[in-house]
Amino acid sequence: MELFIEQLINGVALGSLYALFGLGFGIVFSTLGILNAAQGTYASWGAIVALNAADQWKLPFAASLLTGVVAAGLIALIVDQVAFQPLRKRGTSMLGALITSIACWIILDSLAGTATGHNSLSFPRGTYPSTMFHLGTIPLPAMQLITIAALLVVTLGLQLLTRHSRLGSAMRAVGWDQTAASIGGVNPRYVVVITAFLAGATSGFAGVLGGITTQNVSFMLGEGLMLKGFAAVVVGGYDDVRGTALAGVALGVLEVLTSQYLSSGLRDGITYSLLLIFLLVRPRGLFGSLNFSRA
Amino acid sequence: MVALISPAPKKTMQRLFDFWSAYQSTVAFAIVNSFLALSTYAVLSAGILSFATVTYAALGGFLGARLVLASGLDSLLALPIAALAGAGLSYLVALVFLRLQSHWMALASLSLILITRVIVINTPWVTGGVVGMSVPMPLSLSFLSLLLALAAFVFWRLSVSWYGIAAQSVREDPAVASSLGISARDIQTIAFVISGAVGGLGGILLAGLLQFISPDTYFVNIAFTMIAGVVLGGSYHWSGAIVGAAVFTALPVVAQAAFPEYQDVANGVVLLAIMIFLPRGLIDPRAIRLRRASR
Amino acid sequence: MKSVDVDETTKVPKPLLELSVVGKNFGGVAAVSDLSMAVQAGSVAGLMGPNGAGKTTLVNLISGMLPPDHGTIEFSGVQIQRSPAHIIAAQGIARTYQNVRLFSGMTVLEQVMAGCYVRRGVSLWASFLGLPKAQHAYKAVQNHALELLDRVQLTHRAHFLAETLSYGEQRRVEIARALGTRPKLLLLDEPTAGMNAQESAEIGRLVHSLRGGGLTVLMVEHNVQLVKDFCDVVTVMNFGRYLVSGTPAYCMAHPDVQAAYFGKTTDAERIQTLR
Repeated sequence: MELFIEQLINGVALGSLYALFGLGFGIVFSTLGILNAAQGTYASWGAIVALNAADQWKLPFAASLLTGVVAAGLIALIVDQVAFQPLRKRGTSMLGALITSIACWIILDSLAGTATGHNSLSFPRGTYPSTMFHLGTIPLPAMQLITIAALLVVTLGLQLLTRHSRLGSAMRAVGWDQTAASIGGVNPRYVVVITAFLAGATSGFAGVLGGITTQNVSFMLGEGLMLKGFAAVVVGGYDDVRGTALAGVALGVLEVLTSQYLSSGLRDGITYSLLLIFLLVRPRGLFGSLNFSRA
Repeated sequence: MVALISPAPKKTMQRLFDFWSAYQSTVAFAIVNSFLALSTYAVLSAGILSFATVTYAALGGFLGARLVLASGLDSLLALPIAALAGAGLSYLVALVFLRLQSHWMALASLSLILITRVIVINTPWVTGGVVGMSVPMPLSLSFLSLLLALAAFVFWRLSVSWYGIAAQSVREDPAVASSLGISARDIQTIAFVISGAVGGLGGILLAGLLQFISPDTYFVNIAFTMIAGVVLGGSYHWSGAIVGAAVFTALPVVAQAAFPEYQDVANGVVLLAIMIFLPRGLIDPRAIRLRRASR
Repeated sequence: MKSVDVDETTKVPKPLLELSVVGKNFGGVAAVSDLSMAVQAGSVAGLMGPNGAGKTTLVNLISGMLPPDHGTIEFSGVQIQRSPAHIIAAQGIARTYQNVRLFSGMTVLEQVMAGCYVRRGVSLWASFLGLPKAQHAYKAVQNHALELLDRVQLTHRAHFLAETLSYGEQRRVEIARALGTRPKLLLLDEPTAGMNAQESAEIGRLVHSLRGGGLTVLMVEHNVQLVKDFCDVVTVMNFGRYLVSGTPAYCMAHPDVQAAYFGKTTDAERIQTLR
């Protein structure tokens, strides 16, 4: 029983990573209408920069975390303005945006590989909290608690932002129709820039936390998060913050429990099967809205 | 005999021979990648973005390799079997996927690749599981060239026949095509079957060339680089797929000479440049016609 | 021309196209409301009404682009309201669009060939293999396409990219493409929209020349002169509903029609003075 609860918590922590990443991906998808193949690289680079901050510049945990997150946000912003903005002006289709994001993915992924010397690096001990809490006899690493807390905070923040703030309304208006939004007094360029930064920062956050907890800072970190985060977005609902968060956590739990009680070879299978089933039967996910808006 | 040949021409011959052996494998890979690109083009030319080529290739590759290994089947026979298997699978995929809206279909095909990898890992008796399997199937360059010429002929015939004009209509404006009596569903199903056959064939050729395949051989990486190659070469003509595949295969090799650390980035940069400045790709029949008309 | 279907009890020819109580809602808006009308074979029928009256929606319903929420649409005695668009096209209904929708990247001749696809006469297999009979059939269809281009007076533009033509020429290509399907009924959605007087007159003459071949035309139009000159009968819609039908002169003078277009009968009287 205790093993079950321990694995449950592991699943929630893992799922929180997926959810956190998925939130960033979902913002780009639902607000900017772009299926961003490069989103995973924001996570990888967030982790790489944070690692450098902690290891090379000897910054404390919170500061290196922040550095990684901000760096990821900036990279996302640059990608958006350099790659997607020219397409936006031209009114390019989703395919065009996807291909362009693939180009950025190739570039950033290769650079990430070069940056880590094609190795998988880990955060040295002492650069992150490693206290072990306990729930009865169940061990609770500090990083797990931090990850879960991060998800809760970000989900709440994004929910407030998108549903209860003027910026959020502006974001949704721009996602729906940029021209109409600008007629309504919204500056689309400004909104797009902020949205891109937020999306990158969120995924970058997942990347830093993931890099620490999985001891794997490399371009593969982002790719792994990308696929699971994408699944969370589809299952949860591409434009619903709480849905994505819930779905991500649920997928993490399912994965860990499948690995524990069924077979480790099948752990990804559950996630991807759910992903495919939802795409075939209910593409808008559990909580997504019916109309899909495009950039 | 050797004494009769003077030293100077012998050195040139030697250099040419070295040059050729060094780049022979690049040419071979370019040809095999062309098959995968053509498979993607086959559905793209009927208006569908689908990454399922990778799945057809996986089926063709693993099935074909297993048949050759297990039953000593002549590799020459394994090729059409791989193509047929791919075609059969793609027909089933068409039945299920054509009901979906285009953007959901693209995502569904992506998740199909993810599931394929899980299936490959969990069916070791066919695929060798996580470890992979070696493929004893030597392929000569002249044989590959012959196959490519055959494929090019097929695609040329398709483009100049009634299917070609129907597919182009469906791609450009499916609603108008319907109002002209063209069944988008029928045309796109045919496109899927062609894609499956060419993809399955490409898969087994890739297996033969790599001489070793594993779950990671047929995964998201080739899916993305393939579609990128098609768009770069020109997604509005079948020759674009071949050109794009050749560029994507050769570019890193060329870049290696100039910037060895950043050779992989070269593909991304070129693709990004194409998307921003030449979005219809290198080979664009429309641009050619516009130029002709203005003379 | 084949014999016209006749209703046995009344000895009146059955209409080629008959709509019964057809309705279509979009969200809360009733774009078409309980509309019934008929189009006789061999006629050139006009469909008029102020903007937003539901005329284009009606064309979309007939051509199968949208399914009606209720009602029946009968074409040559066959109910088509649930048929997919490509089946309806094969059965003999062709259409053009309010904003010209030609295929990007294709030449003028290729556009018309696309229209001829449904009557190509050979299997796709035979065409792919390049069998002799397929090649002959293709040549024959190509000649037919060139004839159609001749009818719309665009033979000299056959190998030009369609999108480089003037708007009026593009409209004519669109009509030629629709004619490629050898339709019995041709739906034209505002064919002269955005054209000057001369181009409109050309379209009018073209429509007039079409009726000789046994073609039935249903034309959505705002151009009153065109309708008066070329339509045998006009149906007027407003707010998705049937308003009145009859000869063009009858409809134009009808107070309900004038009220629909101009709001008040008094305004309409002033408009009369323009003619």
